Order: sequence, then structure tokens, then C-alpha cells
Amino acid sequence: MSSALVLLNVTKRYGDFTAVDQLSFGVPAGSILGFLGPNGAGKTTTLRMVMSIIYPDSGEIRVLGHPQAIDVKDRIGYLPEERGLYRKMTVDQTLRYFGRLKGLRGRRLSERIGESLERIGLADWRHKRVEALSKGMSQKIQFVATILHEPELVILDEPFAGLDPLNAELLTELVQERRQAGATVIFSTHQMEFAQRLCDRIVLINRGRKLIEGSPDEVRSRFASRTILLEGEGDFAALARLPGVSHADIGDGRARLVLADGLEPAAILHRAVDAVRLTRFEEHRPDLYDVFVRLVGADRAAAESARSAGEARHG
Amino acid sequence: MDKVLVVAVREFIETVKTKAFLIGSLLMPMLILALTYGSAWLAKTAEREKLPPRTIGVLDQTGVTFGALAARVREYNEAYPARPFVVENVPPGPDARESLRRRVDRGEIYAFLVIPREALAGQSPCELGRRDAQLSAGEAIERIVNDAIVAVRFAQAEPAIDLARVKQLQQKVGLRTVDARTLEATGEGEDIARFMTPFAFMFLLFMGTLSISQGLLTSLIEEKSSRVIEVLLSAVSPLQLMAGKILGMVAVGVLLLVIWGVAGYASAEYRGMGHLVAPYRVLYLVLYFVPGFLFFAAFLAGVGSVCNTLKEAQGMAFPMTIFTMVPIFLWWRITDSPSSTLSLVLSFFPPTAPFVMILRICADPQTPLWHIVATLGLLWLTVIGMIWLAARVFRIGVLMYGKPPTPRELLHWVRYA
Repeated sequence: MSSALVLLNVTKRYGDFTAVDQLSFGVPAGSILGFLGPNGAGKTTTLRMVMSIIYPDSGEIRVLGHPQAIDVKDRIGYLPEERGLYRKMTVDQTLRYFGRLKGLRGRRLSERIGESLERIGLADWRHKRVEALSKGMSQKIQFVATILHEPELVILDEPFAGLDPLNAELLTELVQERRQAGATVIFSTHQMEFAQRLCDRIVLINRGRKLIEGSPDEVRSRFASRTILLEGEGDFAALARLPGVSHADIGDGRARLVLADGLEPAAILHRAVDAVRLTRFEEHRPDLYDVFVRLVGADRAAAESARSAGEARHG
Repeated sequence: MDKVLVVAVREFIETVKTKAFLIGSLLMPMLILALTYGSAWLAKTAEREKLPPRTIGVLDQTGVTFGALAARVREYNEAYPARPFVVENVPPGPDARESLRRRVDRGEIYAFLVIPREALAGQSPCELGRRDAQLSAGEAIERIVNDAIVAVRFAQAEPAIDLARVKQLQQKVGLRTVDARTLEATGEGEDIARFMTPFAFMFLLFMGTLSISQGLLTSLIEEKSSRVIEVLLSAVSPLQLMAGKILGMVAVGVLLLVIWGVAGYASAEYRGMGHLVAPYRVLYLVLYFVPGFLFFAAFLAGVGSVCNTLKEAQGMAFPMTIFTMVPIFLWWRITDSPSSTLSLVLSFFPPTAPFVMILRICADPQTPLWHIVATLGLLWLTVIGMIWLAARVFRIGVLMYGKPPTPRELLHWVRYA
């Protein structure tokens, strides 16, 4: 399968601050990629570099087979995080302008505007001024402007930010429609529920570096066997002392055990059956939210200790 | 290039649609025309207006002038029957002046006039006290008094001199001014018009350049503050965006120049001075407008890209605005001596060059061609440099929000962008 987008060791620095650090990943054509990370992780910087709005200090980016997005801008739809519309123009004028900038002309342009507004339920607003729209409506118009020219690659920077559940649902459908039409979609978010539902693959970054990459299921299963939930009657505290249990969270009639590498859940089951009367034994499948919190939290802690170690050395 | 045009067309349409443009391009020239024609028309009708006879109380301390004065007033009243004066001889007395003053104050008479004894020898002025300050009436009275006293002096001269004969000898020669090219007699007020023409051309250039490039600043700031800019940058490169905006604004500027130019030509033609709007002047206007405009537009595009509010941007552009005001303040000196050192220096200083050169070319048709070629060449070189600089700043600045950069940071961007 060919790649719609490839990043290879991409680095961007602002003075002493490294916004993106040796970042590499690829996006297979026709897939949906969730580009995840906390605020300030470098997501927007990365996407801007992909769009050739800013340029990397080093590394290589290939977009739809080209070294520069500028060469293929008409085949990409980009919804930036900092987005807005001309307040004094009508919806129709706005979409017409953005459509023209993306190379749409004449009848095709009018048709696309008509059917897109129909799809998002704003056909009646076509000749109203943008300033009359509600925030949710403007966001939908912005999305329509992004995909008006039916781009092969759709890049959405925080598309769900500020959307109410209904509009978020609509956006989810629209993204899936784009994929069904054969497009590749990349969207950044720090809201894990959308990533989990929509993505074929995710890339999680923090402090400009990639922490993990894979399909949501892969990523979750990498953490799955490491946590076990138990419920029942008896003394769960004994389980905490078992060799191979790296962390235990013992409550009244329940326990949550985190296993070190090398200890199989089955082994725990055997010991537990001997010690207590079990009513529940479950390998906890963490959702992406858990993965996010653990990986980003650990990365932050590492950064903190590295810094304090550095300060101790210099101090 | 295609996308540059799309940006330019939108910029043009959205600007032309704004109230600011309508006011600046249509209302302003209309207002100016209305003022020039309106005030002339008002002055004429005011002269034709019928006034009741105005009484002037005269305290003639010479004792011999009143007769001559009354004769002059009669002549005046025959010439201007709609606005006659009446003179009343007041016998001299210790409080004659004071009682006259009171009568004027109470509105019983229009004015009082005191002719002191020394006035005949020219050693003391006469005194006029009036209720109003109507200019033409004041001038008329001054003329009447002057003529009356001169007549008395002639009458008293030893041996007597024939005033009528002197007047005949002193008859004014008169000067018929003609246009140097057409030999046609030029109309009244043409000298002033001729004098003002360079200023008019420069002002046109000034308005076209400054007001429109301010429009560029406004639209850029709007795009930044409404966060449209990055959406645009997903479709066009920063350079294309900047080029498109400037191009659109050049078109607006040309439209404005055409509207103002046509209005100016029409009113000049109406007064028979159409030849002042000579084709070569229009040609130079356009030749200097384009690089002059591009220079300011590129500068303001750079400034606008790093600012978030119009106020910030205007503050940052202030030093350049000062330079452009220089020709406005010095235009008189420059048209008066188009080849002075001052004129030359300002001609070769890019921010003032277009304005000063237009002044010089209009004021002096003998402006050396090499000055024109050299200043245009210099301007275009500066324009290229300015666009290069602006593009580098624009690319980074346009995505920056928050505090505008310091000059040092700007320098850094220019070097590493």
C-alpha cells in the first residue's frame, strides 16, 4: 500500500526550543490517522510543516509523493487549528473564494457548494453573511471549505474542538464519507474518544517526539495484559506481595494489579483462586485515554527528572 | 499566478464595496467640487442680494472732506444700486465721536467714520467703526474715503493740479495672460490654478498611495484577527497571498486615480483649463504611482503581518508615514525651486521620491530626463528590495499572534527566514 504522507526524521526548532524532534511516521493511502498528543506537543507545528506553511530544519516530508505540499496543494484539504472566515462575506461568496483558491471553477464549483451545504443542513444559509452564523455553523462551513474540492488528503487540526456532540457526530460521519470516497484523513486531537472510534492508526507524540504508533487495537493490547482487575471475597492484600506484581491497588473486595514483564495473567489467576473467592477476573483493556495518560505522564516525569538532574549537576 | 489573481479579485471587490472606499473615492471629490463651485456661487449671489441703505455717520475734522466724500458715495451708489450707502455729516464736538459710537452700538446707523485733520497730510489714518465685518463693504468704504481725500488734496494743491488729467495719465496698462502653447487668453484665476496644479497631482498620488495601502493594512489585520489567514495559506503560499493582495489594491488605487482624475479633468475643462491636465503629466503620475504604491504596500504588508491590531500597525508604520508627510509640508518650496538641493535630495529618497518628482515635473517641464530615469530606476530597485524584505517577514509574521516582534527579532527573521 502506498503512503499518502511520509515524515522522516523531521525536526523543527524555535531558538532553543525543539518543537518537533526527529519525528518519523507514515500514513497509508486511504486510511484515517489520529495524530494525538497533549497541548503543545508539536502537532500543529508538524501539520504546518506538512502543509509547507513552515519548513523543517532537517528531515524529509513527502506529501502525495511530492517533496513539497505546495506542488499538490489543490489535492489537499487543510483545516487549521487557528481558523476563521471573513465576517462580511456571505457563505456562498466565502465557499466560492476558497473553492477557486483550490482550483474549482464554474458549474462544478456551484454544484459542490450546493451539495455540501445540503449535506450539513445549511442550504438555507447559503446567501446569509458569515457574521450571522452561530459558532457551530461556522465550524461546519469551515469544514465544508476544507473538503469542497474533494481532496485526496484531508488534514484536520483539532477538528472537534468546540463542537457540540451532534455536530461532532456529523463531522465523524463526514470524515468517514471522505475515507469511503478514497481519501486519506489525518486529524489531530487530544480527545481520545474520537481517535478510538475513527482511526485506523494513531501516532501519539509528546514534546515533539513520537511515543507510540499503531492501530488503536494494537496500541491498547500492548498495554492490555499488564493490568488485571479482580473482585470477590477474601484478603486481596496478599496478592500485592506476589512476585511480578509491580503495582497493586487494593480495595475492599477488589484489587487492581499491574504486572511486570514476564508474569502471565494466568499465573496470577492460579494464585488468586487459592487465596480468595473470586467473582470477577478480567484483563483490563485500557482505552486510548489510559494509554495517553500513562505514556504522556511517564514522558513528562522523565523530562522533569532529567531537568532536575541537569539542574543538580549544574547547580 | 492563477491563485494570485483569485486573491487579487477578491481584494479588489471587497475593498471597492466598503463604505470607506465609497466615501474616499466618490464623496470626497464631490465634496471638493461642491465646495469650490458652491462657494463661488454663494459669493456671487451674495453680491446680487439687495441691501437697505446703510448710513455712515461722518465726523469730518478737516471740515473740507465731506463734500468730496458725498460725491464719491453718489458715484458708488450709481455703480452698485443694490447696496447703497448714505453719509450723514456730524458736527464736531467734544463728545461727537462717543455719541456716534453709541448710535452704531445701538444699531441706529451702520458705521461711523472719523476723518482727522492730519489725514489730509497723510499723517494719521481715518477711523472706521462698524456693526459687522462684511469684507466687501469695508473695502468699498476704504476706497471711497481714499478717493475723497486724494481729491481734496489735489483741489488744495498750489498750483492746482487737474485730477482727471492725472488719472488719465496713470491709467493702468493691463496684462492679458495667454497660454504659452496655445496663445489663447487664459481665464480668470488660471495663475492660481497653474500654481496649484503640481500640488493637485501630488495630492492625487498621495491619496492614491496612502489611503489605499492603508486599506491593505486593514484587510490584512482583519484576516489575521479573524484567523482566516492560515486557511488561505493552505491554498496559496505566503508570497502568492501577499502578491495577490497588493495587486488587488493596485487595481483599487488605479480605479481611484481614474475617478479622481476624470473628476479633476472635468472640472478643469469646465473652467477652460483642461490643458493643465496635460497627457505627459498623467503619464508620469501613473509611472510614479505604480512603484510608489508598491513600495508602501509592501512595507505595510510586512508591518501588517506582524501586528494584531490596526493601532499596533499604525504605530509601527509611523516613521514611514512621517516621511510621506514631508512633501505635503514642503510642496510650495519644491514647486518654487524645483532644482534646489532640497528638491534633489528628496527626489532621490525613495519614500518621498514619487511625490517630489511629480511636483517637480508638473512645476518644471524642463526637469532633466536623467533625473526621471534615475529616480524611477532607484524606486524600482527599492521596491524589489522592499518586497523581498516584506515577503520574508510576512511568511513568519502572518502566523504569529501576541506581542509584535522587536526590531532585533525582525532582523533575525529576515536573515533566517
